[in-house]
Amino acid sequence: MNSTPANMIETKNITKVVDTTEGQLQILQPISFNVKAGESVAIVGASGSGKSTLLSLLAGLDEVSDGDIVLDGKALKGMGEEERAQLRGEKVGFIFQSFMLVQSLTALENVMLPAEIAGMHDAKEKAQEILEKVGLGHRGTHYPNQLSGGEQQRVAIARAFITKPKILFADEPTGNLDAANGTKVENLLFELNQGSNTTLVLVTHDNELAERCQRQLHMHAGELTELSNDKDVVENEQLERQAG
Amino acid sequence: MWYKLAWRLFRHEARRGELTIILLAITLSVAAVLSLSLFSERLQSALTERSADFIAADRVLDSRKPVDPTWLENAEENGLNTAHQVYARSMAFANEQMSLVSLRAATPEFPLKGDIKTTDQPFGVGVVTEDTPKSGEAWVESRLFQSLGLELNSTIDVGDMTFTVTRVLSEVPDSGFNVFGGDPKVLISIDDLDATNITGPGSRVTYSYFFTGESNQLDDYYDWLEPNLDRELHRWESVEDDDSAIGRSVARAEQFFLLASLLAIVLAAVSIAVAAQRYSQRHYDPVAIMKTLGASKGTIQKVYLLQIIFIATLGILLGTAAGMLIQQVIVSIVAERMDITLDGWHWRPLIIAVFTGVICALMFSLYPMLKLFSVPPLRVLRRQMGAGLSSRLIQFVAAGGAILLLMWAYSNNIVISLILFISGIVLVASLMLVTYGLIWVGRKLGQGKMGAWQLAWARIQRRSMDNSVQLISFAITIMLLLIVLVMRNDMVQQWRDQLPEGTPNYFMANITETQLPELQTHFSDRDVQVDNYFPVIRARFVAINDEKIRTDVTKEEEENVEREGRDGLGREANLTWSTTLGEGNTVIEGTWLSDEEKTGEFYGVSVESGIAENLNIGLGDLLTFNIGSEIVNVEVTSVREVNWQSMRPNFFFVLHPKSLEGFSPTYITSFHLDKDRKTEITGLMQPFASVTLFDVDARLDQLRSIIDQVSVAVEFILVLVLVAGALVLIAQVQASMDERQQELAILRTLGAKGTMIRASVVFEFIIIGVVAGAMAAVANELALFLLQSQVFEMQAAIHWEFWLLAPAIGAGVVGILGAISCWRLLSLNTSHLLRQMV
Ligand SMILES: Nc1ncnc2c1ncn2[C@@H]1O[C@H](COP(=O)(O)OP(=O)(O)O)[C@@H](O)[C@H]1O
Ligand SMILES: [Mg+2]
Repeated sequence: MNSTPANMIETKNITKVVDTTEGQLQILQPISFNVKAGESVAIVGASGSGKSTLLSLLAGLDEVSDGDIVLDGKALKGMGEEERAQLRGEKVGFIFQSFMLVQSLTALENVMLPAEIAGMHDAKEKAQEILEKVGLGHRGTHYPNQLSGGEQQRVAIARAFITKPKILFADEPTGNLDAANGTKVENLLFELNQGSNTTLVLVTHDNELAERCQRQLHMHAGELTELSNDKDVVENEQLERQAG
Repeated sequence: MWYKLAWRLFRHEARRGELTIILLAITLSVAAVLSLSLFSERLQSALTERSADFIAADRVLDSRKPVDPTWLENAEENGLNTAHQVYARSMAFANEQMSLVSLRAATPEFPLKGDIKTTDQPFGVGVVTEDTPKSGEAWVESRLFQSLGLELNSTIDVGDMTFTVTRVLSEVPDSGFNVFGGDPKVLISIDDLDATNITGPGSRVTYSYFFTGESNQLDDYYDWLEPNLDRELHRWESVEDDDSAIGRSVARAEQFFLLASLLAIVLAAVSIAVAAQRYSQRHYDPVAIMKTLGASKGTIQKVYLLQIIFIATLGILLGTAAGMLIQQVIVSIVAERMDITLDGWHWRPLIIAVFTGVICALMFSLYPMLKLFSVPPLRVLRRQMGAGLSSRLIQFVAAGGAILLLMWAYSNNIVISLILFISGIVLVASLMLVTYGLIWVGRKLGQGKMGAWQLAWARIQRRSMDNSVQLISFAITIMLLLIVLVMRNDMVQQWRDQLPEGTPNYFMANITETQLPELQTHFSDRDVQVDNYFPVIRARFVAINDEKIRTDVTKEEEENVEREGRDGLGREANLTWSTTLGEGNTVIEGTWLSDEEKTGEFYGVSVESGIAENLNIGLGDLLTFNIGSEIVNVEVTSVREVNWQSMRPNFFFVLHPKSLEGFSPTYITSFHLDKDRKTEITGLMQPFASVTLFDVDARLDQLRSIIDQVSVAVEFILVLVLVAGALVLIAQVQASMDERQQELAILRTLGAKGTMIRASVVFEFIIIGVVAGAMAAVANELALFLLQSQVFEMQAAIHWEFWLLAPAIGAGVVGILGAISCWRLLSLNTSHLLRQMV
């Protein structure tokens, strides 16, 4: 049996310090929290509070200055670029504020991209299928600059789901969209997420969007706090804090 | 899967025209290298062929005695063609007059290379003939008609045999070129030789055997023959390096081809580097995305390497096709007579060209690609994150090293390569300085109201590094174009100067002192301009420092080009006197003859450097000449270098006038007669039967036509280099437009007027163009000085006109290119621009 660990994401005392011209700058205070498999978590906070930084660390796009991250039972510590890339390819999907579609590939080709990188053979069929799911089956041959922002983000969502990732990271997915398109994208995102039981970590400064997640974490000046709210949170983890 | 991805990206980029510059650059460098090296190989083989014309075969065996007939049988068994000719000096008689003639008795196969030309009118225009004289016939040179009063079908006695004169002999291929002339030639059939009875004991006869065939057959034959040869009797001649005026012009032209193609390669490489850099930058996002989505570094490398392979392959194929086509065009323009065959040797230029394409495609995209591979995945979140690799030094070292290596590998000439390379470095360094100077000045000027000028300056300031890179590539491009342009101008000019309009096409010799005044008035009455008269005294050169030297005269020595001296001079020497140094003469050792009386025991003599070297004569040596029965001793006081390319009488020995006092000279001179006045020549010469006339029109025409042909090729190459240069400029402007795109979009959004933005961009390019042009003019001067003095052996001069022209051209061209691409950019609407930025 494929035993899925209870926690899809485990973090312990992760910090991020960067070198700037004015000396070292601590962007993240020590952060510890866990995310269960299938759970959806929103990280909210003001612009510049460190949300994207946290996301980049969780996704293995960047390296922590200190602390440990375990994704689906695999510790990121000690992994090189290549191993982290492989891990991302296997387990992680992404959605970005600025869509990040490859401009020189068509919508269909963009959706195929992760599947091809993973070496899947029926990439094209799968991509077409999922494009249809996001309602863009007829736009497959169009290039990103021929699509509206909302459409581009739907292509990006299709791309994120094609490999059936265990974890999905979304950084302000509706940040560049108007309200109507934003809602459409939101709905699509949650719909697909529920359908595939993916663990979702969603960064946003939109409280309404955050509400749709099972848990909300608040980021403020590099510090993360759990917001307790009316929602039924199954098991609220005790947040370990360490004075920085 | 990665190859599909590579193909998809490639296809899309190609469709959007993003790869056009790289493709054109690779195509151009391959085409340039291929066409130029093919062409110069063809030129080379055509010249070898032409040199072969001058000895009438590929190889000649000269012998003082008839050779063993088995030698010839063996040659024919080896697959060689053979012909035979016997030379002898003899007296010819007609109309109770006599003349010393150079008799040639030839087999019908003669000549194997080159042509015999005959005519039916003395001094008429010769026409190529395939025949040789039949038994009983003699073909006789025009001069002999003059001196013996011959007519066609009259008879002439040579030795014991009487011949009928059937044709005027105007040219034989192996006649050499000698202003002082040998004796007039008489060509007969070899079957009649015995009947003349002139080859008996004591006579001076040379037996020449001619061979043609494949070079390996010829070599094999020589290997077999060599042990049988006797140095005293035999001499083996092969086609040697052509040191004639034509040979030198062509050698210089080839060097120019080499230089030009080097520059074309450098330019192509620069445009590849610029375009690859741009391509790489445009792919930062895709690479970051692919990495984020789990692509390994290896996959990404393969994806992009494959794209380079696609484009290189395409470029090389196109370039090869274009190169073949171009050289076919050049060849057909240059020489209709050249046979075009796809022999084995065509592979060498092809290999070089393909190699160049591969190196250009790989080496100059290497750094941008390495940068691209190092783009971190984090860029998907932090948009401003660029490549991890960012040392400009690596780029300069890598690209510079590759350029130098390529130059060296291709030219095999480290001097040319280093000259170009170092002047490039100097240019780069000084441009850096100027750029920072400009920025400083700009800061002062840029204060105040925001007009188009201020905006332009501000932009230049802000992107000082990018701008200096731009400036450098503009300046280098302009410099390289200038080099090729000036070299071409100077070279073609020099060739023209060498044979200006009115170059003498006739030489006269044997004018006696008494004939001189009469001849002068006769010619000026007929409106023919005659050059200076040079006094000539025939002498035998008998001793150096009282050591006797060989002076026997044999056929080949007499007939060969004046320059070739051996142990002795081998013939009578023509002495002249003067105290003015002749045109095209330069003293390289000692001092030129002065009007003053002798200082030592003997008067001075100036010796030509080639013969001084051959005969091992140095300053202070005592030379002894025998003039009639008198002895003249002179001391070497100078050694002269003589420009044999000038079609003027030149002398090995120029003596002090006093040393030849009392001897009566004859005079030689030259004059020019227009082609349409050629018929007047008989009337012109008629009163002076004893004066010998040489018609060198054929030679001049040959020289001119080769120079014209090579000039056409040079023009063509100029165009090629200009195209390469244009490519760089376009690539560079295009790349810098990308950088401006965002700024323009923002300015536009903020409501700046289109005209203002456009003007500021155009001003910016104009400023850059002026500076680049000015720098290029300076660097051009340096490079040209080194090239002309070190490589091309030309007089280097300053080209002031380009100091003004280069900045003007720079401003014009760069400004216009900038305006065009800016106009394109601004014609897109703002939201489109903004969207493209994302
Ligand atoms: N490499 C870096 N160097 C310097 N400062 C950085 C770097 N990365 C992030 N920061 C800073 O850290 C803070 C957090 O950034 P970010 O995680 O992007 O915030 P958010 O996504 O919440 O808007 C910002 O003030 C940002 O400027
Ligand atoms: Mg952010």
